[in-house]
Amino acid sequence: MGKVVVPVGPQHPALKEPEGFSLTLEGEKVVSATVRLGYNHRGIEKACEERTYTQNIYLIERICGICSHTHSTCFIQCVEELAGVEITSRAAYIRTLVGELERIHSHLLWLGVAGHEIGFDTLFMYSWRDRELVMDLLAMLTGNRVNYGINTIGGVRRDVSSEQIKDILKTVDKLEERTKYYIEVLTQETTIVQRLAGVGRLSKEDAIRLGAAGPTARAAGVKRDTRKDDPYAAYGEVPFEVITDQNSDVLGRGIVRVKELMESYKIIRYVLERLPEGELTVKVPKKIPAGEAISRYEAPRGEDVHYVKSNGTEMPERVKVRAPTLANLSSISHMLEGGYLADVPIIIAAIDPCFSCTDRMITVTDREKDSKSMLDWNKLRAYSIDWHKERGLDFSAISHLREDGR
Amino acid sequence: MIKEEAIVQGLKDTFGFSDETVIIKRARRITADVTIHEYREVIAYLKNEMNFTMLCTITGLDLTDTFQAIYHVGNDEGVIVDVKLTIQKQKPVIDTITDIYEGTALYERELIDMFGIQVKGLPEGNRYPLPDGWPVNDHPLRKDWKSVAKA
Amino acid sequence: MSGGKGLCSLYISPEKRKFIMFDKLINWARMKSPWIIHFNTGSCNGCDIEIVSTLTPRYDLERFGVQQKGSPRHADVLVCSGPVTLQTKDRIQRVYEQMTEPKFVVAVGTCASSGGVFTGCYGVSGGIDSVVPVSAYIPGCPPRPEAIIDGVVKLLGSLEKKEEEEKK
Repeated sequence: MGKVVVPVGPQHPALKEPEGFSLTLEGEKVVSATVRLGYNHRGIEKACEERTYTQNIYLIERICGICSHTHSTCFIQCVEELAGVEITSRAAYIRTLVGELERIHSHLLWLGVAGHEIGFDTLFMYSWRDRELVMDLLAMLTGNRVNYGINTIGGVRRDVSSEQIKDILKTVDKLEERTKYYIEVLTQETTIVQRLAGVGRLSKEDAIRLGAAGPTARAAGVKRDTRKDDPYAAYGEVPFEVITDQNSDVLGRGIVRVKELMESYKIIRYVLERLPEGELTVKVPKKIPAGEAISRYEAPRGEDVHYVKSNGTEMPERVKVRAPTLANLSSISHMLEGGYLADVPIIIAAIDPCFSCTDRMITVTDREKDSKSMLDWNKLRAYSIDWHKERGLDFSAISHLREDGR
Repeated sequence: MIKEEAIVQGLKDTFGFSDETVIIKRARRITADVTIHEYREVIAYLKNEMNFTMLCTITGLDLTDTFQAIYHVGNDEGVIVDVKLTIQKQKPVIDTITDIYEGTALYERELIDMFGIQVKGLPEGNRYPLPDGWPVNDHPLRKDWKSVAKA
Repeated sequence: MSGGKGLCSLYISPEKRKFIMFDKLINWARMKSPWIIHFNTGSCNGCDIEIVSTLTPRYDLERFGVQQKGSPRHADVLVCSGPVTLQTKDRIQRVYEQMTEPKFVVAVGTCASSGGVFTGCYGVSGGIDSVVPVSAYIPGCPPRPEAIIDGVVKLLGSLEKKEEEEKK
């Protein structure tokens, strides 16, 4: 490779920055890309072996603060299977309700982040303002905006009142109006379509070959959704569509997410209109009989997989977690290669990665100039926004989004 | 449960597995105990003949006397087959399956970092998930490794 | 300098909350428009999202001169989340060294304050103060955006007091 040139940015030359991404360029195009993980490696699986199942709920919930209900439910499903218990219908419906609210907040969060990455901060402000409505609902239902703690082994810890149901349905109506509008923005706003269409291509064959999951796979036409394929909670009874898109690009990933929001509203209405009577929990012994179980959950980002091995004590023998972002990592390199450096931020953001990518350093090796430099994410984003501005795609020119008439 | 039975029958017919080796645990869950000599063929068979398009993850375990690697493969009907490979502890070496399922390098690197299982044929790449400075022969998920020692 | 007491963790109606905040923020903005840099040292992202939320319309910190900066050299306050994983330990030390005086560190969330639920996990070092000196702690899992703002305001309020005392 090329010789090392003085790194860009305020780093001490003698100290090595742990790089997050490594890109090799020829001109303005990326010819090879690798992602380095491990920043967030905390040692959770080992810690699980040294804590009780109940203590582990609180640890596992915090694997990811955006899909904490996902991880908590997925883990608890394993434990309930090992204990040989079945939760009540009411508990299953409440888990589904919180799961869909989580999906909504996560997709709206993503919409804002994607907007920020391409320099469309108005979209970021609008979607995060709408997202606050969901945060209020989650806080009302569970007592917290994040890390809800609604689950216990054997069911759920809190009930839903008829007053709360009314509030949720009213909010869902509001959100549905806003979402119809976001769908319009993604499909008809010329600047957005020009900016995102054709970017970060991942064909259906490649998506399957590389093991992509969630909206990343569905946007390539792969009709894969754990809620339908391996149903859990109340999903076996709730009618909804699996949203796919044939564009196989970043725009498609956005469209899949906003259309999934509409399905989430449907699911929530169905669940609340038919919420069965019954207890919230069933009894589960503290010592879980020996065995193995594997459970899956459709997180906002894709399939989450948990494996638990029990040994007859209060603590698990082994806990294995495969979060969805890991499934999409092989696809990232593939999507970045052959594309422009200026498209790197949005392509990575489009898989909705569950790691804080903005702290990652990016090593850029320029094959033609035979040089190597380091950028931080903010610099790369700024470069990307300017590059597209030069080509007529300027989101700062869009100072407001058309309101929905209210 | 017809689908699961067809899968199990296929495995029995192709590899001569017994009733104790391949088991239907419940709807959509099958386990198969395999040896080092056939695990790659079993995995390839499930992918190519039985349409198991997904390798969900690989779980490494320390069973005190041996190691174990469980390859969790899934199909589009929600069925998962846990292909359980027993690995000897004295010199734990297995072959990669990245030629069968491409996106699995990270899962195999976890086996290396966390258990010290060698995986032959893995393409070059950074270690995962342990940080760069982590000592080479230190494997946290082994049963004789205690968290408290490394605060 | 602990910011742990008397935080906005009680339920206050949105209107009243806004009123209390605005009052404090206006005073605070008069003394200083702090520039912050936000750094995640291995958090689950829960706290990070709440920190970013403070910049969105409902809380809108930017009206009061608070700006997020990308470079440590331009920042006054380092806002940190997470239990300091081994991978991020060196990096946060470096970021702190690159900031110019006067500089302050705010540990947002229980993990940043003490390691939280990850205490004892082999991949984490502990709270932020195991690596750099912390000026204010904002506990919570995660703390609400109002609590984050309250903590930062308290920090700056105590600095103003210190300045006044030094003048005497």
